[in-house]
Amino acid sequence: MFTLVIGGAGSGKSVYAETLALAQGEKMPRYYLATMQPFDAECRARIARHRAQRAEKGFITIECYTGLAGVQLPAPGTVLLECLGNLAANELYGPAGGEKAALAALVQGVKSLRSQCRALVVVTNEVGTGGHRYAGDTLAYLRLLGAANRALAAEADCFCEVCCGIPRYVKGDAPV
Amino acid sequence: MIFITGPLYSGKKDYAKQLLGGITGPTFEKAAVWDVQALAAGCQNAAELNALAARLAENYSVVIATEVGGGVVPIDAAERAAREAAGRLACLLAARATRVVRVLCGIPILLKGEKCE
Repeated sequence: MFTLVIGGAGSGKSVYAETLALAQGEKMPRYYLATMQPFDAECRARIARHRAQRAEKGFITIECYTGLAGVQLPAPGTVLLECLGNLAANELYGPAGGEKAALAALVQGVKSLRSQCRALVVVTNEVGTGGHRYAGDTLAYLRLLGAANRALAAEADCFCEVCCGIPRYVKGDAPV
Repeated sequence: MIFITGPLYSGKKDYAKQLLGGITGPTFEKAAVWDVQALAAGCQNAAELNALAARLAENYSVVIATEVGGGVVPIDAAERAAREAAGRLACLLAARATRVVRVLCGIPILLKGEKCE
């Protein structure tokens, strides 16, 4: 079962996605695919705090900044990937670079994860409603994330938009 | 007229092509118009905006606008006005449309009218 969860900043999408992963992951390993790179002390502190929060919920953290297709789960279980927006930026601005390669890395990566787990929850960001007047290559990022979101929504069994903490399913029904 | 809206790169045009029976190229360009949010900025007042909506609804079977009202309100006055006009145009088009669909990540969400499938 693959569920895609989209929402804006502070929409409550992470908390909802965590709930989904927990409810689908009873009696099996739960993995948290972490995508944020520890650039500085602030990032490291945030990551440490989130790890502590998740530890109580029984998540095993796997770090992945780029090359999601290379991730091998130790055993089948439930996976929560947070978030596609981070991963897209890492791929686009990373050493491999380029929109086309980045899109392939994201889509193949999710496909690979899906083949290894029982339930997959992917969190992504809605960033396409603020117009197109952006500096530099931000538009390339929007285009990449838009394409990845479309590809994943087409693949997903369930797809919902979270607003004010409330999920609304636009494809399939809530998996739990 | 069918009005289609949604975020940037959400698959609005692909959905419109599918809706019109898989047409492409000049045939599609005759039946559908997109990025109409950009036309709203050229209107000086409500009457002009209304006339634009009427003209689009009369001449096309599908009208597509990108949602641009999210994110931070721009510092630039002209950009602010353009965003506002784009939003108002979308409301006018939706009022005239027999069907309104919001496309999110390629998935159509029916906001008004009857489902076509």
